[in-house]
Amino acid sequence: MATNPMHQFTVYKIGPEIKIAGIDLSFTNASLFMLLSAAAICAVLFLGTKEKKIIPSKFQLISEMFYNFIAKMINDTAGSKAKPYFPFIFSLFMFVLFCNMLGMLPYSFTVTSHIIVTLLMATFIFVAVTVIGFFKHGLSYLKLFVPSGVPAILLPLITVIEIISYLSRPISLSVRLFANMMAGHTMLKVFGGFVISLGMLGGWLPLGFSVALTGLEILVAFLQAYVFAILTCIYLNDALNLHH
Amino acid sequence: MTDLKDFKTRLEIAKKKLKINSKKSNITGNGSFMGSAFKLGTELVSAVALGTIIGFILDSWFDTKPWLMIVFFFLGSAAGILNVIKAAKRMQEKN
Repeated sequence: MATNPMHQFTVYKIGPEIKIAGIDLSFTNASLFMLLSAAAICAVLFLGTKEKKIIPSKFQLISEMFYNFIAKMINDTAGSKAKPYFPFIFSLFMFVLFCNMLGMLPYSFTVTSHIIVTLLMATFIFVAVTVIGFFKHGLSYLKLFVPSGVPAILLPLITVIEIISYLSRPISLSVRLFANMMAGHTMLKVFGGFVISLGMLGGWLPLGFSVALTGLEILVAFLQAYVFAILTCIYLNDALNLHH
Repeated sequence: MTDLKDFKTRLEIAKKKLKINSKKSNITGNGSFMGSAFKLGTELVSAVALGTIIGFILDSWFDTKPWLMIVFFFLGSAAGILNVIKAAKRMQEKN
């Protein structure tokens, strides 16, 4: 069966093929897991906010923890001006987190291990932050590319370097999440394959590694969602509070 | 009424305890160090890759293969190092 460690990343169609204006819009396993994670988020938050008690239920506790965690993160990194963007960053964090965590279940599919998904999110953030920056500061947002106190001869060079550095943000944001998830899941499968091929005699060592790696992967799944959200906050901070 | 007062004082005490605890250990703990390590790596590589791609595209526009690609590779490397310095500065500010 699936001895190929890359087999888990194949996208296949579920149900009939749907084509609208030459674009393939069929329902795939990736769409299924995106819907599942969205449904899981809604379920957790719905159960958490259904009845508000002084002594919270488990779901209420989890929802409040997520809320406090994101609210604190936005306040610490981007300041009070970023409060209106809380819903967006909260949804972003929850979506990435739940996609990563659902991917940790056996036989599931990790949506965030595909670069197109993460690149789309990162590009959206990049465009949104740039638009917000120009909207709030007008053309003076371009000062971001011209650091103060640079000799006039070096200025063109530094400006080009700053622009490349700015444009590389969506790439580093998306590649980080995608590479972490894909590498981790491939590694888990490879060690799982070792257990089978080494059998009863030598299979115990890779089995132990597998267990340890699963724990590590759960940590990475949370951490990458956190890093994704906190970098969004940092970029937002650059756009809202211009001082460089 | 006495119940409410009692609850409020207990809440105050609990809040104070929470503050002391949160000073001792932050939520992300040791894990965030690994996160920052990954962050610095991709920060460096992505800028180099982007610089090279920009150079490659400009080369095919102006028919100057391979000179712009070489120039933009070095500019991209500089941008990558700039990214790393910025990220490291942010990390130091946090601590």
